[in-house]
Parts: sequence; C-alpha cells; structure tokens
Amino acid sequence: MAKCPYCDFNSHVAPQVVPERAWRESLIADLDFELARRPAASPLAAIFLGGGTPSLLAPETFAALFEQLAERLDFGETTEITLEANPCTIERGRFAEYRAAGINRVSLGVQSLDDAMLKRLGRIHSAREAIDAAGELHAAAIENFNIDLMHGLPGQNAAAALSDISQALALSPAHLSWYELTLEPGTVFYRRPPNLPDEDDLAAIESAGRAAIVERGYRRYEVSAYARPGRTCRHNDNYWCFGDYLGLGPGAHGKRSEAGRIVRTARIRSPTRWQRLAGSDQAVYEREIAPRERPFEFMLGALRRTGGFTWAEFEARTGCRRASIRRTVNGALADGLLMSADGAVRATTRGLLFLNELQERFLPTY
Amino acid sequence: MRAIRNFAIIAHIDHGKSTLADRLIERCGGLAAREMASQVLDSLAIERERGITIKAQSVRLVYGAGDGSRYQLNLIDTPGHVDFAYEVSRSLAACEGALLIVDASQGVEAQRVANCYSAAAQGLEIIPVLNKIDLPAAEPGRVAAEIEDLIGIDAHEALHVSAKTGEGVEAVLEALVSRVPPPGGDSDAPLQALIIDSWFDSYVGVVSLVRIKSGTLAKGERIRVMSTGGAWQATRIGCFTPRRTDTERLECGEVGFVIAGIKDIDGAPVGDTITHAERPAGKPLPGFEALKPRVFSGLFPADASAFENLREALAKLRLNDAALAYEPETSGALGFGFRCGFLGRLHMEIVQERLEGEYGLDLISTAPSVVYRVTTESGEAREFENPADLPARSEIAKVEEPVIRASILTPHEFVGPVIGLCEAKRGRQQSLLYHTGQVSLAYDLPLAEVVLDFFDQLKSVSRGFASFDYGPARFEEAPLVRLDVLINHERVDALSLIVHKDDAFARGRELVDRLRELIPRQMFEVAIQAALGGQIIARASVKALRKNVTAKCYGGDITRKRKLLEKQKEGKKRMKRLGKVELPQSAFLAVLQSRRDP
Repeated sequence: MAKCPYCDFNSHVAPQVVPERAWRESLIADLDFELARRPAASPLAAIFLGGGTPSLLAPETFAALFEQLAERLDFGETTEITLEANPCTIERGRFAEYRAAGINRVSLGVQSLDDAMLKRLGRIHSAREAIDAAGELHAAAIENFNIDLMHGLPGQNAAAALSDISQALALSPAHLSWYELTLEPGTVFYRRPPNLPDEDDLAAIESAGRAAIVERGYRRYEVSAYARPGRTCRHNDNYWCFGDYLGLGPGAHGKRSEAGRIVRTARIRSPTRWQRLAGSDQAVYEREIAPRERPFEFMLGALRRTGGFTWAEFEARTGCRRASIRRTVNGALADGLLMSADGAVRATTRGLLFLNELQERFLPTY
Repeated sequence: MRAIRNFAIIAHIDHGKSTLADRLIERCGGLAAREMASQVLDSLAIERERGITIKAQSVRLVYGAGDGSRYQLNLIDTPGHVDFAYEVSRSLAACEGALLIVDASQGVEAQRVANCYSAAAQGLEIIPVLNKIDLPAAEPGRVAAEIEDLIGIDAHEALHVSAKTGEGVEAVLEALVSRVPPPGGDSDAPLQALIIDSWFDSYVGVVSLVRIKSGTLAKGERIRVMSTGGAWQATRIGCFTPRRTDTERLECGEVGFVIAGIKDIDGAPVGDTITHAERPAGKPLPGFEALKPRVFSGLFPADASAFENLREALAKLRLNDAALAYEPETSGALGFGFRCGFLGRLHMEIVQERLEGEYGLDLISTAPSVVYRVTTESGEAREFENPADLPARSEIAKVEEPVIRASILTPHEFVGPVIGLCEAKRGRQQSLLYHTGQVSLAYDLPLAEVVLDFFDQLKSVSRGFASFDYGPARFEEAPLVRLDVLINHERVDALSLIVHKDDAFARGRELVDRLRELIPRQMFEVAIQAALGGQIIARASVKALRKNVTAKCYGGDITRKRKLLEKQKEGKKRMKRLGKVELPQSAFLAVLQSRRDP
C-alpha cells in the first residue's frame, strides 16, 4: 500500500494483521465517550466509513460494530451506510458480505479510467479493476454507489476528461464526485507540481464536463457532487448544511450542538495512540465555535450547495440572527454572486465559480 | 585645551569606519570588552541594519600618548551617504582634524572627495589612513597615489591600518595627537556653543550635541538659544564615553551634550549657537545653511483608519529628524495621507522603514518626485511637489525642474557605460578627467532622474565600482509633460508622473507593461492605460480570472480551508481598492521598476 502524491489525508501504513477486534472496541469506547456529551440522540441519518481505506476491516467486524451501535443509537434500514473503497484492495470479492453486514452505499475511488493517468497519479489499481469493481457492486445489489473522478489532471484536455466521464457513467453509478485535482500543501505534487492544464483549458474541461454529466441525468447539487434523483449523499449533505455529526476513529472530525454551544471535535491522528486512549478525553480535541464565527463556518458548506440554504436553516443551525449577515448578503446579491428565490439564498453560477471570494466575505472582522 | 583633539572620520560605508572607531574606543578603554556590542557608534536599529550612519554622534576618549601626556580625543562621527552630506559638513565644523579612511584594496570614491574638499575648506588637518591593509588585494601604493591625485593631499605618510586585526591603530592615535592642532577659542570670552546635532529623548527632552567655541558652560547655568531667543536652564551637561556621562562643566574646545528641558528640536536647531542668558555673546557663530527637502513622496496608510496613527508617527520621527517635512495630502486613489519631503532616496527609505518597523504601520508610498516650478500663461510662478497637482498643459507657459551637478568617479573600463547612462538620464557632460586609477566625470543631471534610480543603475553599469556625489540644485526649464495612468478608465492620481516629452511614449509603455505584471488577475478584466492630456498613448489589460473555488470540501478539518480564505483576505488588505480593482502596493512604485537595465 502506498500514499498517492495528491493526497493530504491522515494516512498511515497498516500493520500486516489489523487487530480488528481491538479496533471495534476502541470505536465503541470512542462512541460512548461522545454519546455521553450529546443531548438525547436523534435518529442516525447516515454512517460514513471513510477517509482512507476502512475496507481493511472485515465484514464481520462491521456487522458486530453495527450491532453494538444499534444498542446505543436509533438506526435501521433507511440509514445510509457508506463504505469508502478502492477498486484494488481486498474488499472487491466481499461486497456481498459488506452488503449483508448492513452497508448499503459504497464510494469508489476510481479517479480516472486511463491507465497511464492512474499511474501518474500513483494509483495502484487499473481501469479494468475499476470497471470490474463497479460490476461487482451491481452484482452485490449495491446500486447506490459513488464514483470519485478527478479532472484537470496532468496533460489532460477536454476530450480526455469527457472520455473519463463517459466511461465512468457507463458503469451506472448513482452518484459522481467530479472534482478538480488540487495541489495540497504537504503532498508530493505540491512540492514537485506536475504539468497541469492552464486556466483556460481547465475552464473548457469544466464546462464541457458539467454539461456531459447533467445530460446523462445527474443533477449537480454541490460544487463537485452530482447525483441521480434521490441519490445525494446524505452524510456529505448534512456536513455541507452545518449539521451535527459524530467523528470517531483516529484523525476523525465531528461537530455537535449543545444548548447555546457549537463544538467541533477532532480525534488524535496517530492510530496507535488513539487506540490506546479512545474513550478518554485525551483522545479528543474540542474547539467551540463562537457565535461570531458561525455564519462563516455555515457558509463554508451551505454555499457549496446549488440549493443554498433557507433563513430558517441558517438561524436554527447557527443560533445567529439573519440580521447579523444581512449587509454581507445584500452586498453579494448586488454583486451578482448570490441570488435569493423561492425562500432560499444560493450562489449564482458566477458565485459558484468565485466561491472563495464569496465565502471570504463572511469571515468575521477583527 | 592643549590636550584636546577634536576629529572626524571620513569614510565610505564599507571601508571600515565603524570597525576602526570601535578599535579606538576599545584601545582607550571607553567600554569594557563585554560591553563592546559591535559597532557602538551606529545606534539606531536601521543604521545597524544597513551599516550606515545617519545622525552625528560623538565619543570622548582619554588617550595616554607616547609623550607621557593624557589627551582628550573627541571623535565626532559623520554620516556616510550623499543624502546626509549636510550632516557631514556640520560634524566637520566641530573638528580640527579628520581621518580619511580609504579601503586599500579599492580606492577613493566621489563622496569622500567631496567630504575632503569641505574638510579642507574648513581648514581641517586631514590624515589619510589606508585600511584593510591585511587583505591580499590591498594596493597601498596605488591608493596613496590616487589620494594625492584626486584629493590633492600628501599621502606619502598615509597610515597603514587593519581595523580588523588592530594593526596600526596605535599609530592612528599618535597621529591624531601630533598632527591635529588643539582647538582655539578664548575660554574667558562669552559662551558660544555650536549645536552640531539635536535629538529628542523621550525621558529628558531635547539633547543637543555642542562644540564650545568660546567661553565655558557649567551645569545649572541659564542659557539662551540665539536664533529663537528662548532661555533655558542647562540642567545636565556631559559627554559620551560612548555612554552618556554627566559632568560639571564643558570647557572651551570641548564637545559634549546639553540638556535644558527643551521639548521640541526646533527649540534647539542644528547650526544654532547657545550662549549664556546673563552674559550673551555679541553674535552667533556662522552656523549652517537651512535644510531643504529635495525628494517628495506621498505616504498613505493601507488601512484608512490608521491615518491618525501615521500623523502621530510622523510627528514623533520629526522630533528627531529636522530634515523631514510633511503635510496632509488627499488622493482620489489613496485617500488621506501625507506628502513628505526628504533629503534623498535613502532618507525616504529610512523614514518609511522606521514608520513600518517601529510604528507598525502598513504604508503605500508613491514614486519619489521632485519640486517643479511652473509659470502659468498668466505669468504666475508656483512650485509643485506633487505631479498630480500640475495644471493642465494649456495653462502652462513653462516648467522648470531642479538640476544638480553630479561628480562621478569610475574605474577606466566603465567610462563608456557610465557616460551612456548619464546621457540616457538627460545629463550634460561638464568635464571628464583621466587620473591614474579612475576617471572623474562631472555631469549636469535632472534631479528627478537621479532620485528615480540613477544610483542603482550607476552601480549596475559599473559592477559597483563607480561612486557618485551631488551638490545643491538649481532650476532649469525643460519640455516636461504630465503622464497619467488610468485603471479601468479612471485616472489614478497617485500614479501620475512628470516626464520629458520625448520620453513620454516610451515611459508610458514601460509603465503600463510593468503595471500589467504587478496587478494580479481578478474577477474582472483590468484595463490599464497611459495618457498624455486626453490622449491615450499606451494600453494593456490584465485578464479576468476564470474562477476561484476550492474543488473539495468533505468531512475533515475545516481549519485549513479557513486559513486559506483568511490568507486570501489578508492579501487583499495589503491591496488598495479602486472601484472594483485591487491594486497591490507595489503598483504605486511601478515607475521605479519600469525601466530595464541599460
């Protein structure tokens, strides 16, 4: 297993034998720690097993985990349970078993369907393996799966990007995350940047790609996310809507609202230390989001959604009055970056293109 | 008085003045070794950073000479840059002798020639010192010949010194005792103390460095500043060793400080004479010519709310820098700020650095300019310090600009490029003389060209070897026009400049091209135009950004995303917003960088 040159996630090389039982116990301890700090838990809308390669754990481990979860939380058949998976690792023959364990959605890290490009990206799977994985998902009755696909890749032109899209959509995913390669600090690509398409080429790739995806019946509901009707990712959408979520496991981030307080949580990043400390406050960092910070943090996600937000949502989730940001909103409306219609406020097409400029306006002034 | 020697050191920036001064202080026991922070004379932070001296300073040393007597040696330090030439002459006025330090591996430079001429004109005994004699490249014979040739003083007995190793330092002290005459003056006559420098100390008020020319001054006496007529009590007097050391008296011929509760340096102007209130001198000492700023620049706070802070900071700097002038200025582009007058480019940069470094201000400065004298069609003559204020061309009968006489010394091999540069800068050759090692050139040059980038370019065409000095300016008529810059079709007053009409098209083109490089791409296209009167003479545009959006934002850490946007916002704070366009601070100095190296 190797780390991709563009990835800035919290990744660690796994030991030869993953101590699955110990992991499960640590996760439950971590959960109990968190549940004790939350008000009466509302039904669980979604579970996301992701950030790397959670499929290193066996289906039985997940089954046992869900059993223990069910003792503590209200969730059932309708809860979206997503597993992130790579097309090459051991999970491929096990999709049916994962499905039986309760996993009903998979996010597949395909990235490209061009073998030469996959190699440049440092991926260890092939296009063939990606196609086979999608077939196996269908066979395992996991129709609700996402494909992660990148564009703006080294040397890529619009034709190559369109070819990737049409091959990916031919696999009939319910959801497509089509996002531009970004050079993140701390990655190999950041230190030694590959030869990426220029701004004009990128703009051409984007407009052509977006049109092609939408034409195939996928709706763009977030900057980089497209879904068939009813197949948006509930977990991500909740995150973008400034909803609460539990973040368990090493390096996991979470958010909880208490009476008058909103707290972001993070677990320590080292897997071995986390395992040792899970369930105690030593495994957790917490940071309260002060009221003045909340509008900005809300907008970080909400404005990424093509549907934007309603004022009722804004006030309920941030605990702030709409008056606190009215001037900023009016300015952005006047500049054509925001629009207000059908009771919702959302970024315009131009606002989505210049989202960083729009969101910056909501930073609190000191 | 017979045991007093007052002397200055004339040296180029890196020829080793401070190191030699340190050696002299060390040898005479002025400071214990552990107190010898390197180069004690350069006390302002910026002086240390840049290795230059701005204000005059003095150190009293006690030296037990070879003849068995003890001598009081007063070293009056002189600034080493052409901007501060004026301060050199007033330091020399306090001395009877000067050490001329020349780097034995390099040779004489133009400013030192000028300093030596003024030292000689004031009747000072000049002792040539060849420093850095320890370097393998040292050529004491050639450099001594050059001193004789260029400065016209006997350099046969020039002292061979290495301030670094300490070699020859003793001989310097002996030469000061034996060759510099003791000060004259009548100790029984009424007091005449020449103010060499004044500075503001936040604890005691104004401290004045004085040279007693006649009479004596004792602690507690009532004194009078002759030009202002203000009477004060000399509450503290003393000398620098280099620590400030209080004494009871300053005798005739001595150099020391006076503190008299004066709250404003204009109350003790440099060049003025202090006398006794009860038994005043009949007339003041000759003094010095008044300082006039020659280079002007607008200083504006990047954040408009910092205007009052800028005003306070300028007032504080002014307390210690009589040469700094400022008055409020309003710019359509930059808002409220100050038009400031400086002695020269270095002075300007130092003031800006101090405002930013010591007062934490974030400033936008406009390109340096000079004073233009405009005679209108109606016959009225006015002087303009700001190009943007120049009247319309139709109203102007003639424009005059300041022109200086530049003295340049360059090694033979660079004569061609140096002449080329002077011609390109609208210079007129006045003389050209070949000496053994170097060529001396005299050129009449418009001051506006000099303050822009002449010095840097001179260094560049001569690989750093040519040196340069210039004197006072006179006005000369020239066919000058105002070049305006329009950003998205709005004139930006802070970017206007005055140019020779023959250069206008080329300068407009260069400026527009440079601005295109400096202005970052934004959400909208930015149109840049240069105009003469109503006529557009050059244009360029900065293409609009296609987008600015982060591709991915999933359940991880949001702090990084936040930092990205905070950085983006911070970047804009350093920009000036004109309409919808964000201009970087560097754009306002684009004119300084628009010319390619010749």
